[in-house]
Amino acid sequence: MGQTGAPNNKSQLCAPALRVTPARVGPAQAADPVADPAQQAADPSAPPLGAPPSNPRWARQDAPVVAPMPAAWSAGHALAMLGLSTAAALAASYMLSPVWLLELQHVAALALFAVATNLLVGYGGLVSFGQAAYYGLGAYTIALAWLHFKAPFWPAFIATPLVGALSAFMVGLVALRTRKLYFALLTLAFAQLFYTVAQQQYELTNGATGIFGVGVPAALMDPQIGFLFVFAAAALAMLALWKITVSPFGLTLRAIRENRARAQSLGIDVFRHELLAFVLAGAFSALAGGLFIVHDQSAYPELLDWTKSGEPIFMLVLGGMNSFLGPALGALVYQISHEVIVQHLRDWQLVLGLVVLAIVLFMPDGIVGLFSAERWRRWLARPRSVGGGET
Amino acid sequence: MSVDSLVVELLSAMTTAGSLFIIAAGLTLVFGAMRIANIAHGSFYMYGAFLVSSIVSSFGGTAFWFSLAVAPMIVAAIGIVVEVTVLRRVYDKDHLTQLLATYALFLILADLGLRFWGAQSRAVPAPAILSGSVRLGVASFPIYDLFVVGAAIAVGASLWALLRFTLLGWRILAAVEDAEMLAAKGTNVRLLYTTVFALGAFLAGFGGAVIAPLQSIDTGLDASIIVAAFIVVVIGGLGSVAGAAVGAVIVGLFEALGILWTPSWAPAYIYLAMIVVLQLRPSGLFGAAETT
Repeated sequence: MGQTGAPNNKSQLCAPALRVTPARVGPAQAADPVADPAQQAADPSAPPLGAPPSNPRWARQDAPVVAPMPAAWSAGHALAMLGLSTAAALAASYMLSPVWLLELQHVAALALFAVATNLLVGYGGLVSFGQAAYYGLGAYTIALAWLHFKAPFWPAFIATPLVGALSAFMVGLVALRTRKLYFALLTLAFAQLFYTVAQQQYELTNGATGIFGVGVPAALMDPQIGFLFVFAAAALAMLALWKITVSPFGLTLRAIRENRARAQSLGIDVFRHELLAFVLAGAFSALAGGLFIVHDQSAYPELLDWTKSGEPIFMLVLGGMNSFLGPALGALVYQISHEVIVQHLRDWQLVLGLVVLAIVLFMPDGIVGLFSAERWRRWLARPRSVGGGET
Repeated sequence: MSVDSLVVELLSAMTTAGSLFIIAAGLTLVFGAMRIANIAHGSFYMYGAFLVSSIVSSFGGTAFWFSLAVAPMIVAAIGIVVEVTVLRRVYDKDHLTQLLATYALFLILADLGLRFWGAQSRAVPAPAILSGSVRLGVASFPIYDLFVVGAAIAVGASLWALLRFTLLGWRILAAVEDAEMLAAKGTNVRLLYTTVFALGAFLAGFGGAVIAPLQSIDTGLDASIIVAAFIVVVIGGLGSVAGAAVGAVIVGLFEALGILWTPSWAPAYIYLAMIVVLQLRPSGLFGAAETT
């Protein structure tokens, strides 16, 4: 029953035990088999008599925020990926025009932002709607240091993840006490607090005008070198993030996402794991914000606004949050199509809205999901009978 | 500070609270019954205000009363379309999918609104009978502010009566408790959800319509109101109409205090209010704990 891919939350819960590579599983391994019999017994996937198919009750209980992750990549995959992308970046840096190289700088920064956010949303099941706070803080760290102290770029750049981690730690201490929608809105509230400071405190931040022309080393102003730097920094950061997701910590985080109560009863300190995930996501998002400075040399309040927090979430859903690099692909598609569409059409939001709707309704694994072998296997093996599901 | 200026501040806080309550009531009702956090609620609000401005500008100032009834109905009709075509498909999905679906609707409605009404801001004159101010006791109050507070009280009372005395209201409360059981007892829950969503959209449209003469109406109203409305609902506890009322008063007071004490920090106060309340009660003042 749980194998048919029917759009049922409980049946998805059972699946991940089969997918995670056993050799790597830390506490997650122990976590999964325990509750299975109980779940089978209480499996609500059979539609209740005469009831409408929609049933928010089940969705409210322990629904995972996302479908299960596929098995982690091997180190070989990662190395191959790294080599390939380095080659691609080098080739791109010689072939593309400066305009596109500048655009790709932005894409690389956003890609890191999206992958970092996915550590929370995809791996942790923690839907934060305030990640722009850390992205914006990263940018503002460099911009403010330059504005007030004429600080050189490099120390400020290196400080960005620390600032992001520290602020995420303080926010996380408070926000992680709440759950789900309350958590999403609390993270949003904190981001709006930062936004308010950036927008209202004119002496500190130049207010709504923002800070422009931030000093960046001359070499990085060159589109080609700038691109290679941003790309390399983003790639290294993503490699670090990938190591984190396959570490025992990353697997425990997934176990918590799948079933909090079970993880807790096994002695996992859920709060600590989630706090660490939040801090890491904040640190890498801030680093991405620092890379944005290389691209744009400016920081302005909109970088902190809640609509900006929505962007990495769109990207990770667009690309596919169930794969590690899906969000990066999403960032590429999002940003490039944004640039292309706004040149021809003023209804960017309309297009984006329709695409997001189509994805959440019809292809929950995003673009990556289209290419996954498993999707085709599932499609071929789908039940032909009536009532096989509505996705 | 003198007493009368304090009283005037209080009234302006209550005006804010009143308008926030009308919007938040719809939001919390929809969440309570369907567990959907509807970001597009802000769009419905904006559409309500825009529709009033369109009706008033084409039929003249006296059409205001007429528009107060018609605009919310049109918004409710849009709500029904949205519910039937999109939301119905995400009721059994997880939180993130639901949030994204309503966010997508929010974006779509924002651009459609921009197409339809254009980018420049509009103003709606209050009808003659509600403009000016009236002297009550120690201070004089803008009449329209009193009207907004009155409208909010009327909405609150009607919702209370609806939930307390009518079959529809009982069904809504039953759906909040256990939609499964309600369906087993023979209620058409699907139709009930559409009705509740239409009611929520109606309230959002009504909120926008009522507030139209008080502020300039432009695109961007949707994004600014939805955050405030969510804060109100979260402070009160998701799903609780009484909580929305209390939350609206708290937010109104905090905002007034902020403007009074430190104007440049004023927008931060409502976020602080929410953070403080959720620290004391992680599920809001009247909310049931989110089970996991």
